Amino acid sequence: MTKEGWEPNIIGFLCNWCSYAGADLAGTSRMEYPPNIKIIRVPCSGRVNPLFVLKCLMNGADGVLISGCHIGDCHYSEGNFHARRRFAVLKRFLEYLGLDPRRFQMSWVSASEGDKWSKLIKELVEEIKTAGPNEVTGDD
Amino acid sequence: MIEELRNKVKELFASKRVDVVLGYQRAVDGVSAKPLFIYNQEDAERLVWDSYCVYNLACYLKELAGKKVGIIAKACDVKSIAVLLQENQWKSQDLFVIEVEEVKPSAPADKYESVRKLEAKSASERLKFWEEEFSRCIRCYACRQVCPMCYCPRCVADQSMPAWFSRANSLKGNLSWNVTRAMHLAGRCIDCGECERACPVGIPLRDLNKKIEKDVKELFNYEAGSSVEQKPLLSCFDKNDPTDFIK
Amino acid sequence: MSKKFMERIIGREELIRVIEGLLGNFQVVGPRELPGKGVFYQPMKNARDIYLGGGFTIEPVKKFFLSPSECFFEQKRNESGEFLEEAPLAGDKRIIIGARSCEARGLTLLDKVFDSDYKDSFYINNRKRTTLIGISCDSPDKDCFCTSMGGSPTEGRGMDALIFEIGDQFIIEVISDKGSDIFGSAGSELNEEQKKLWESDKKKRKEALSRKVAVPDGLDKAFGSPYWERASSACLSCGVCTYLCPTCHCFDLVDEERKRLRCYDGCAFADFTLHASGENPRPTKKERYRQRAYHKFDYFKKNFGENLCVGCGRCIRHCPVKIDIADIVANAPLDKES
Repeated sequence: MTKEGWEPNIIGFLCNWCSYAGADLAGTSRMEYPPNIKIIRVPCSGRVNPLFVLKCLMNGADGVLISGCHIGDCHYSEGNFHARRRFAVLKRFLEYLGLDPRRFQMSWVSASEGDKWSKLIKELVEEIKTAGPNEVTGDD
Repeated sequence: MIEELRNKVKELFASKRVDVVLGYQRAVDGVSAKPLFIYNQEDAERLVWDSYCVYNLACYLKELAGKKVGIIAKACDVKSIAVLLQENQWKSQDLFVIEVEEVKPSAPADKYESVRKLEAKSASERLKFWEEEFSRCIRCYACRQVCPMCYCPRCVADQSMPAWFSRANSLKGNLSWNVTRAMHLAGRCIDCGECERACPVGIPLRDLNKKIEKDVKELFNYEAGSSVEQKPLLSCFDKNDPTDFIK
Repeated sequence: MSKKFMERIIGREELIRVIEGLLGNFQVVGPRELPGKGVFYQPMKNARDIYLGGGFTIEPVKKFFLSPSECFFEQKRNESGEFLEEAPLAGDKRIIIGARSCEARGLTLLDKVFDSDYKDSFYINNRKRTTLIGISCDSPDKDCFCTSMGGSPTEGRGMDALIFEIGDQFIIEVISDKGSDIFGSAGSELNEEQKKLWESDKKKRKEALSRKVAVPDGLDKAFGSPYWERASSACLSCGVCTYLCPTCHCFDLVDEERKRLRCYDGCAFADFTLHASGENPRPTKKERYRQRAYHKFDYFKKNFGENLCVGCGRCIRHCPVKIDIADIVANAPLDKES
């Protein structure tokens, strides 16, 4: 049922201080990675509301990624601790509802990890390509 | 037993310690029970206590802020009051909890049995299951209104700027609503079961909340409402919280 | 020969055959019991699924006519710019088999709102394209009071045909041309003995209703009474009673994702009358519950001559806290003091 030439549409919530900078580094270093990820910059991974993830998936996003600072390195000290707790619950819950677990992922990428970022996105896009288009809510 | 209860309530009024007491009275059909707001000693005579008194009266606390309230509470109702106190929704000096023992059928050996059954199914079977259940949701919000923990002055479902999910009862809207409510109850729901009882179309809502309750115990060793001093689950964290799902 | 108001008597197997004939050509919907959950209107796949049980559907047949969410128009774009495209009216014909007299009569009350000086094209289209076949009930429960609201379990207002199961035969009262298209030549005409049997059957069905509710005249005298605060104290301000009511029809217009939708709304909700300024003229349950009671048993009666209630009992049966509006209204104090 995959349309010819379908490309996954992945939404990424990247924290400003680490992951966004890391993605930026990948760019300036000319490390290639697929363009399927649409990046939304947030101050901190702890800013991300589970509703954002839900809204993306309900409105047809094929995948959602939240990426923040490594534990202990959060620019706001604790934001990523809260995110880790919150999204541990959400990830298991979405899977319980029957959503493909590949469609919601989290990562810690620091400002210097441009290489990690580009590898991460290459893998993520491949995973979502295998998962296929997100058809949870049917038409609309 | 009922006389004792009535006298306790009358005493609260006599000593002017309460403005209102939440209890139970006989319903119009003469058999079942319904909630009773007691405003004076005379009203207390209408109090009843039996197996029909299923309601978790803590759901009325959200609209009684500022008053001194007495409340007749069963074991799980007491837990919901504990969560409300943890979250600073009430000062304990304004609340008089009259605990009552209920005659309940013995709990099943494994309270998460139905959750485990669902977990054992394949993802597409689970999705089909929840799609069918949510197809009947009429967005009456009875689940929210009957829940003691749903006390937001303006619920996310009623916000229009921005509108978080569709008001239509499409699958998209219904799934969003039920998932959001369950997530907002993470670490707060004490499984009184009122939401499932109130749902007019028979959606197994407890199977949503119990899943999160089970996960929260496994992941963080946390049980909602276990004490008043406990910190709310998502407002704190532990250095050793599970991290294996993060790349 | 006039096609209206004829009666036919038909055996079970022939009834099944008639319905089978419909299944092939139209969308057919009927009540079905979902174990452990209740009775719901579902697409009918098999004629033998015709629901002859005593249970009442949780949702009334109203939703097939006044949709819980209706798209009016959608914003679209072409080379010339943006434009609004009106939603098309559904064209396919539909047959509902198994409605009760109470909920069908609710449609005649909704007709006064959506098909009189104001003509709602969606509602009217649904009325036109749907054939409504009812089944007369014989087991009212303690919450039913249709006979107190000017109705009965044996009347066919709002329907195209009404089926009575009597023993192993079915008497069909054909009420309209649409009903006649289906049953006009089914079975045979009733003979004198069958007519007598039918009359006594109808009497028995009406008498099965034990609950009588008397709505007082001059309800407006009770408007200022503190009675409404006590009466509404247990109300949760949810939408169960309004959404399950065959006659409630309040709605909200929302713009979502370039579509304008009309969705069900309920006067019990706390923000039903919340203004953009933040002002809410019905801030507490007292005002909201009183409004519901008065809309149904005073204002609508004054405007349209009938109570906005068919006595189906759904609001009482499904209220999570067992509030009984009929009991509350029947006991409203008409003297200002109480």
